[in-house]
Amino acid sequence: MDALKFADLIKRSGDKAYNFAYRLAGNEPDARDLLQEAFAKAFEHGDSYDTLRPFDSWLLRILHNVFLDSMRRHSHSRTVSLDAPTPVEDAGWADLLPEDSPRPGDELVKRESLDILQRAMERLPPAYKASVTLRDIEDLSYEEIAAVMDIPIGTVRSRIHQGRLLLRKAYEALEKSGGMRS
Amino acid sequence: MNERKHTQGPEISAFLDGALAGKDRVRVDAHLAACPACRAESESLRQLKMTVRAAPRKRMPADLALALERRFVRSQPWWRANSRPAFWVPAGTMAAAALLAGFWMRSTGAADEVPLEPLLTAHARYSAEALVPEENLVASTYSDQLTALYANSSDAELE
Repeated sequence: MDALKFADLIKRSGDKAYNFAYRLAGNEPDARDLLQEAFAKAFEHGDSYDTLRPFDSWLLRILHNVFLDSMRRHSHSRTVSLDAPTPVEDAGWADLLPEDSPRPGDELVKRESLDILQRAMERLPPAYKASVTLRDIEDLSYEEIAAVMDIPIGTVRSRIHQGRLLLRKAYEALEKSGGMRS
Repeated sequence: MNERKHTQGPEISAFLDGALAGKDRVRVDAHLAACPACRAESESLRQLKMTVRAAPRKRMPADLALALERRFVRSQPWWRANSRPAFWVPAGTMAAAALLAGFWMRSTGAADEVPLEPLLTAHARYSAEALVPEENLVASTYSDQLTALYANSSDAELE
């Protein structure tokens, strides 16, 4: 890929990609590593980029794959299998998430804390975290998310919903515990 | 009829995201209007969605942007980094030829009168106009050699 053109793409897509990387990684050092590796792969495989399609989506797809690779390489203490069944089907999620509690409703917004939200996001399994991030933060359509994550639309729909349920549960638990880091 | 069977969760999320169309959208809309439990769930998810959307976006740190540019643009060999047909190629070739000619003439003693200043000027002009990455210029010792030659030459003239 032409280096000068690539410099322009870094400027135009950098913020969006970094935001996605940060939400996936949950911290700045890992987000930086993810972004650098994603750009390196994009640069290396620039010839395979279809210029008729948005560069952003292509880059986010690479970034997502880099993230999944890194998750496979390193077993994080709070991370579960990437292929784990949905929480609805598997009681094992009880280890990851707290017990049922009253739904937040209006209270969620009233007691909103961005710090708690970020930590609740960190508790989500990668597939759900990516789905919710792409939909609610990056504002991608279901079709775009399917392309980035390379999954069917039906799976996107399911993961977004399950991700929101898990996020709500994790958020409540953190709030309940006074926002203390676990 | 809608009240009896609750809407499935993913449908509620898809409805909130505007990802339902036609009959599906009408059906879920009608059910939410008639079912307090599903409406409450929908409202809870809507507020959660708004909370997530309200999270501040992280911007790429400036130093990271600079590092990426250095890594993928400036580190490229100049003939790859600048793919445009170079207007400076002829000028660079001429400057290099003049430089070599100057060295040759000097080494053979063929032309002690050849002034080095125009060569330095040509070299400086080439460096300024050629858009050669700074690190590539630094890597070359020709500038130092030429400058040293010029300095020695000036010293000799003074003596």
